[in-house]
Amino acid sequence: MLKQMLEGDWNSIADAMVPDAKKELDQSPYSTQLGVAMADDARRVIAGELDIKEFHKIHHKNLLGEFGDMMTQDEIERDEEPGKVKWAMVIDLQKCIGCDSCTVACKAENRTPPGISYNVVLEEEIGEFPNLAKVNLPMPCMQCDHPPCVQVCPVKATFKLENGIVAIDNDRCIGCRYCIIACPYGARSYDFGESYEDEMLSFNDATSPEYGKERGPRNENGTPFGNNNPVGTVRKCNFCLHRLERGEEPACVETCIGDARFFGDINDPNSTVSKLAASPRAFRLKSELGAGPNVIYLK
Amino acid sequence: MSTYAKGKLGNGPKMSKGLKGWLAFVLIITAVGGYFILERLILGLDTTNLSSITPWGAWIAFYIFFVGLSAGSFLLSSLIYVFGMHQYERVGKMALFTAVVCMMVALIFVLMDLGRPERAINAMVFWNVLSVLAWEIHFYVVYITLLVVELWIAMRADLVRLRPSDSLRGKIARLLTFKNSEVTEETQKRDHKWLKILGIIGIPLAILGVHGGTGALFAVVGAREMWNSGVFPIIFVVSAMVSGTALLISIYIIKSKATKTPIDTQMVTSLAKMMVAFLFIDLLLQFYEYLVGVYQLDSVGLQSLATQMGSAYSWSFWGVQMGLGALVPIIIVFNKKLGQSVNWILFASILVVIGIIGVRFNIVVPSQIVPVFPGMPAGDYYPTFSEWMVSVGIAGIGLLMFTAGDQLLPLEESPEASGEEE
Repeated sequence: MLKQMLEGDWNSIADAMVPDAKKELDQSPYSTQLGVAMADDARRVIAGELDIKEFHKIHHKNLLGEFGDMMTQDEIERDEEPGKVKWAMVIDLQKCIGCDSCTVACKAENRTPPGISYNVVLEEEIGEFPNLAKVNLPMPCMQCDHPPCVQVCPVKATFKLENGIVAIDNDRCIGCRYCIIACPYGARSYDFGESYEDEMLSFNDATSPEYGKERGPRNENGTPFGNNNPVGTVRKCNFCLHRLERGEEPACVETCIGDARFFGDINDPNSTVSKLAASPRAFRLKSELGAGPNVIYLK
Repeated sequence: MSTYAKGKLGNGPKMSKGLKGWLAFVLIITAVGGYFILERLILGLDTTNLSSITPWGAWIAFYIFFVGLSAGSFLLSSLIYVFGMHQYERVGKMALFTAVVCMMVALIFVLMDLGRPERAINAMVFWNVLSVLAWEIHFYVVYITLLVVELWIAMRADLVRLRPSDSLRGKIARLLTFKNSEVTEETQKRDHKWLKILGIIGIPLAILGVHGGTGALFAVVGAREMWNSGVFPIIFVVSAMVSGTALLISIYIIKSKATKTPIDTQMVTSLAKMMVAFLFIDLLLQFYEYLVGVYQLDSVGLQSLATQMGSAYSWSFWGVQMGLGALVPIIIVFNKKLGQSVNWILFASILVVIGIIGVRFNIVVPSQIVPVFPGMPAGDYYPTFSEWMVSVGIAGIGLLMFTAGDQLLPLEESPEASGEEE
């Protein structure tokens, strides 16, 4: 029967295989102590016990002393403090098959009434036979950096959250619909109070779950008075903020059959969306308007 | 003075047959429209043909139309009180009062259009300084206040003269004046000074704040090619002058005819010429606006123009705006014979007012028909019966306010003039 291998046994094998770090480092012209200390701290960084910034702070001076400014450089100062999330979506148009399941998932998730869909897929045939191509363009809200809708709202009922999402306060909105006029992407809809109640039992019982707020049942006839449901106000996609808050992706991203949608923090240079956004295939809709959309397409 | 009070003004409104008929008509249309206003308040905007593609419709068109009438009437009144064109003095107070009523009507239209009318006050409380609309709402409030104060000063002398009268008019005059108010040369001088000051404050307020601002509300929207130009607010102001002048000509002639008072033909023809002059400037600006729009060959811009000038909606552009609202009145006013006839000028003025309604619809609707994003569904908007009836109801409320003011306030020409008649 084989002996049960314990940690100590593995370590002794490793010690025999790996050369002694101290001896090796002694041979180099540089400080052994620094090398060992840095290696130890590097392990702690990997294990998550030490912040990478802290690591740089500890060893920067030592490195400068040891190697001079040939081998090391001053700390890079970042404009934005790291750790601030800015949500963005990348949609790969080559992968989109135009199945509209994102639209369906969105409607199911956000329980939008008839006439409102936070996500649409535009389908267009371009070219002439036989040089035809079918283009599908899924369009959620672009969550612009400089949203024209926020600019025009007379009552500050729509605003940009710190994480980049453009949100609506349905309790403040007066329903003037100026934002719908101003949105260059047609991403906003007015809630006329229509309902699926006839086709779908108890549709009225739960209103939009957006922003995680309980808003009571929808009115039967759409009377806009004396209630706090979103009838009579403007509604739009909010990247499923209520799902993001519990660590889930937006419904459209999760459901996409072709895996055409990517979601993440565009402030993090290592995130998938950042890398894809840097691709030469990446483009944004109507970028000439300067609204700065945060939905990026891959052509 | 007291003989004057006992005279024409003091007797107050004799309910003549014509007036009774008029009141009955106004009350009926207000009541019928009121039903549809209630229906809209209970059922929400589902009673309209509006959609998320065409979120603004007839009520917004009427709103800018009435703001235009108000600004136009006010600017006409300031020609009198500020620039000393006293040949038009007869319509001065009427112009101010029309401006007040039109502004209130405009605000009722906005209120009807809000998805949540009960939250309208939010626009005053949460002021987004980046929003043109928020600025507009504040400007409107200041503007109405200024108009009311100016109107009160303009009427003050007549109100004081009316104080001793026993009629309803006298009671209202006592309510609106202080006990020890008097009319002397000094107070008249003071009143004229204040009219001038308020008029001077009011001119930039009306041009830049109220109507230019309402134009800016559309012009700043980068997403809509057709509105997004610097000349747009100017067109608003000029067309306001056109419609304001036309409305006052109509009111003056109709009222004079109804009360069988002699009509100042010279003033009417001169006002008609002024109206046509404004109309020419308006057409010129519009021409350049369209020229620049076409010249860019931008597809969305071209589509919007095509919608306005060559689609199912084009009757409104060629028929109402250009034909009835511009070409016909210009021909009438410039015709040697027709241009001297009060009846024809009245006809031309009414056509101009209707034409400007067309202008407002052509501003609001066609640019929302072409989808903001190619591939999205195109808009399809025509006001529902309910929308028309709500508009009729609001117009009825406006006419009621106007008639009440006209009957109860001394808006007529100054007593010296009426004294000559008697």
